[in-house]
Amino acid sequence: MRGAARALGPALFLFGALPFAVLAVQLFLVYTGRRPDLLGAEPVEALEHATGQLALRFVAFTLAVTPLRRIFGWNALARHRRMLGLFAFFYATVHLVVYAALDLELQLGEVAAEIVKRPYITVGTLSWLALVPLAVTSTRGWVRRLSGGRWLRLHRLTYAVAVGGTVHFWWSVKKDVTEPLVYTIVFAVLLGYRWLTRRSRAGAPGVAAG
Amino acid sequence: VLGWPYREALRLDEALHPLALLATGLYGKPLPNQNGAPLRLVVPWKYGFKSIKAITRVRLTAERPRTSWNESAPSEYGFYANVNPAVDHPRWTQARERRVGEFRRRPTLPFNGYGEQVAGLYAGMDLARDY
Repeated sequence: MRGAARALGPALFLFGALPFAVLAVQLFLVYTGRRPDLLGAEPVEALEHATGQLALRFVAFTLAVTPLRRIFGWNALARHRRMLGLFAFFYATVHLVVYAALDLELQLGEVAAEIVKRPYITVGTLSWLALVPLAVTSTRGWVRRLSGGRWLRLHRLTYAVAVGGTVHFWWSVKKDVTEPLVYTIVFAVLLGYRWLTRRSRAGAPGVAAG
Repeated sequence: VLGWPYREALRLDEALHPLALLATGLYGKPLPNQNGAPLRLVVPWKYGFKSIKAITRVRLTAERPRTSWNESAPSEYGFYANVNPAVDHPRWTQARERRVGEFRRRPTLPFNGYGEQVAGLYAGMDLARDY
């Protein structure tokens, strides 16, 4: 059991990093023309969809840590929540970079115009911006500096990111809303759990864990 | 996702234009199912959704019929759907395109480059309104 607990960190890291490695290799093979079909007819769109979904999934994994601890006592997860959250930020950043660099080919005027003009891009950009202070203050030093519940309060921004990211997904879909609906249900469960248990937590500061 | 069956329509003069084809083959071979066998419309100066695949019925109507994408999202997909870099899809720019097999985008041409041949069909129309 101790060995398993020790392997949890590296296992979660691989779980987070592997999709990026696969996508990077696929992009390389497509870009160099070795396997132009690997990412479908719209390789850039395929990368946007993959990285956007990965970002949302890691937001969900991060938000799942607290319920899993409370319900199943999986406290070993707590130490790795930062890594899950940073993977969410990482994939959201890759998503944004793919959009700006590969989709709009770094025409920064065009990127700015699109962010202002298209509501779903605006919401997506705001959600990414909300992740920035969370990533910055994820270090031990910042956790200490933002004592007295301030760090926890700041990191409740994750809830806004979950909502914003899901809205961004809904608004970007042409017609088939199955996938955004799945994310909506997952986030509704994860946020609903917090809402339902908020009273019992108020009197138990020992388990305050966002 | 979309209503069944998929429906598309052209104005009569568009349908009679020599560039509007009904295809039964591709690269010298019979049309594969995934490309719309047995019969597929090809309207090269319009966005792809106008080029309906696997046609089972063709009708001549007095009124403009309702067409699938136009019906499901009228603000995004017009009846005409002529390729027009000056008219954005509400959710993305259509000024530049990425061709299959090319990684970089290139500027999109009005009427997909067939302006000389087909622009006359739309003389006097405001194509920003009738997108």
